[in-house]
Amino acid sequence: MLEIKGLNITYGGPPVISGVDLRLDRGEALAVIGESGAGKTTLGLGVMGLVKGRCTGEIVFGGRNLLAMAEDERRRMRGRDMAMVFQNVDDALHPLYTALDQIVEAILTHRRLERAAARKRAEDLLRRVGLEGSRAAAYPHQLSGGERQRALIAMALANDPALLILDEPTASLDALTKGEITALIKGLIKDKAALVITHDISTAARLTGRMAVLYGGRIVECGPTAELLADPRHPYTRGLLRSYPYMAATKDLQGIPGRMERGVPGCPFHPRCTQKIDLCRRETPVPESNGGRLVACHRGGIVPLLEIKRLSVSFGPVRAVREAVITLHEGETLALVGKSGSGKTTLARAVMGLVPAGEGEIRLEGGKIDGSRDFYRKVQMVFQNPGESVSHRMNVLQAVGEPLDVQGIGNGEERLALVRRVLDEVELPSDDGFLKKYPHQLSGGEVQRVAIARALVLNPKVLIADEPTSALDASVQAKILKLLLNIQEKRGLAILLITHDIALARKVSDRIAVMLNGRIVEEGPAGRVLSSPRHGFTKKLVEAVLSKCPPTQPESQDSSLP
Amino acid sequence: MHIDYWREVKKSGPGRAGLAAITAVAALAVLAPLFTGHQPGEYTGAIFHPPSREYWLGTNDVGQDIWTHLLYGARTSLAVGCGAAALSAIVSALVGGLAALSGGITDRVLMRLTDSLLVVPPIMVAILAAAYFRPGAALLVFLLAAVMWPGGARLVRSQALAAKERAHVAAARTFGAGRLYLLTRHIMPEIGPVIIAVLVMDARRAVFMEAGLSFLGVADPAVVSWGKMMQQALRFSYLDVWKWWLLPAGAALSLTVAGLAFTGFALETVLNPRLKERDR
Repeated sequence: MLEIKGLNITYGGPPVISGVDLRLDRGEALAVIGESGAGKTTLGLGVMGLVKGRCTGEIVFGGRNLLAMAEDERRRMRGRDMAMVFQNVDDALHPLYTALDQIVEAILTHRRLERAAARKRAEDLLRRVGLEGSRAAAYPHQLSGGERQRALIAMALANDPALLILDEPTASLDALTKGEITALIKGLIKDKAALVITHDISTAARLTGRMAVLYGGRIVECGPTAELLADPRHPYTRGLLRSYPYMAATKDLQGIPGRMERGVPGCPFHPRCTQKIDLCRRETPVPESNGGRLVACHRGGIVPLLEIKRLSVSFGPVRAVREAVITLHEGETLALVGKSGSGKTTLARAVMGLVPAGEGEIRLEGGKIDGSRDFYRKVQMVFQNPGESVSHRMNVLQAVGEPLDVQGIGNGEERLALVRRVLDEVELPSDDGFLKKYPHQLSGGEVQRVAIARALVLNPKVLIADEPTSALDASVQAKILKLLLNIQEKRGLAILLITHDIALARKVSDRIAVMLNGRIVEEGPAGRVLSSPRHGFTKKLVEAVLSKCPPTQPESQDSSLP
Repeated sequence: MHIDYWREVKKSGPGRAGLAAITAVAALAVLAPLFTGHQPGEYTGAIFHPPSREYWLGTNDVGQDIWTHLLYGARTSLAVGCGAAALSAIVSALVGGLAALSGGITDRVLMRLTDSLLVVPPIMVAILAAAYFRPGAALLVFLLAAVMWPGGARLVRSQALAAKERAHVAAARTFGAGRLYLLTRHIMPEIGPVIIAVLVMDARRAVFMEAGLSFLGVADPAVVSWGKMMQQALRFSYLDVWKWWLLPAGAALSLTVAGLAFTGFALETVLNPRLKERDR
């Protein structure tokens, strides 16, 4: 019913919307999500014909190109064929008229009706959105935020339009009101086409069947809402979801580095993207269909960095790892959980070439690994016991600089600068005094940070962390894991976290793989694996952790009363 | 675990005593011309002269100054001891290190060779070979090294095997380090103290064997040596000369060997902390 083709909107400067293609059918709801400034509202206003800037391209509605129409005709369509529920700000309603009067006026603009009949219809509409009697006749300033939002919705429905554009319909509402309004809208838009513009992902998820992600005026990803949320393919989508406080998400909130810039050549997201290549700077990616999903990314979306395919490792008759399959994507944390002796560490050591891999293959960025020196520039490992993995004969400078030494990177001065920078990054001092310290002069947490700094000094894309915090106490553990997540956010580091602690995995990982007797028995998004484990062993692991939880509330407080 | 081996050795009683003894002997050997006005081969004109201000330990049957012999004998002892020990330790380190790092067939061949040499009593081989070659100091060094290296090689191999499995070596491998880098930067520093211990023990055996061979008279007769002094002194045991000829030579040998042994024990204690626990 609505088809947008190659829409560009500019306010004179760089385009706010560029090359947007969208389709919307009757009975369908499409969410447009993105951070503020992405061009969401401009897109909605553009469809309504209310945008002040210049629009080019096509907006076909009911078979006719809106952009080719005369303004008069468009005005007549507004409110009657398409309506917009404006963002609930203080001046969205006229302060001098009651909600009822404003809706009556909206009806009378488009229909020849008796004032009484219009009033009757307006009251019906307000009742439908839950405003009755005195509330309906109140002035905007007498209404609560939720009530004003209801009034705005009623007003948009005044002439029963076929297309409804909702701009942040639930912004600045409390959670309960938000729930009510969302349910209300869901009932109202069933037979209409609805464009839901929001940065509130949970509202979008409840209202819509499809979702388009807008960034820098371009659609970077579009697909069925449920699939897009469960498996974001564009780095920006993932960043957006990670920074949104979902109830189902278990990982700590993470942001997206940098901030949105306008008029960026090439891919609009490339300045903030952690997997950009040269091409991203030069050319704008075209959205390409990929399994029912449109993704605009030169790299085809989030790239799989490390692929382990049916890997088996045997020590004589002992099969430590059996046909393990793991894919680690750019910028994500995959937790490998299992009992000790289940083959987790062996798997990691096989990837690092410390034990010979038996059958199967290990691929890095699509290429088979050959144990060359370059592999280790991209993949690094943090070992379980920092006291042992950092040679006691090396001071901090020598230890952290060792990978540079081995790889022959830089001269003495450059190395020193790199070492200092990476020490800053892991929040360790980088003064000369600290550089000359030996491991035994540092605390356990500090030595592990040195080990992490050493693993990061080559700026790898993949970090394999084998129980990096099992030797440390909880407060130090928390700091170190936060540090890793921060670095992940900044650099797009992919982390394979090996741990026996599923509660820890819950807080830091996007996905969890469970290993039992050398096999991966379950793998999935962290939230799903923990809330509805499928394999018996996973269930046991989760139950074991749950039973260790401290009681949250005393059962009853009556006994404490006199 | 970071241990300053040098400081630990200096801290232990036997270590200090041993180091003092070796230092004293070495100082006498190096500065020999300052402590005597004679040459070892020089005829002084007095035969069997008892100790006096001119001849501190008297003279021997052919009128040579015994004190001078003692000083120059220390040179031979230490030179042969250190030389043989160094050579033997190098061979031990090479064979042991190569076996440990290479593994597989190289390891097996080298270790079977080592084992077969270990079962041959070194003193027997040394005597037979010396009797045949009549070795001078240089040849003696090679001969002694040849019979001494297998024990050290075994020790180095076991230590290198353990060092190879240490996490920091694994870590270095994950930076892309090659074998040579691992050997020079990680494994050698790790087993360095062990090699030094091997060196000291080898030196003790070498000093002792050198003395033994010259006492038996199978070494080059032209070399001044404590062993030969004792052998010659014994022929005149019916005279009083043994007091200032035989005894000082024996004492000097004992002092040197004991010094090296004490240092070695101290090192061993430091390297193996379990021995330290037992001492307390």
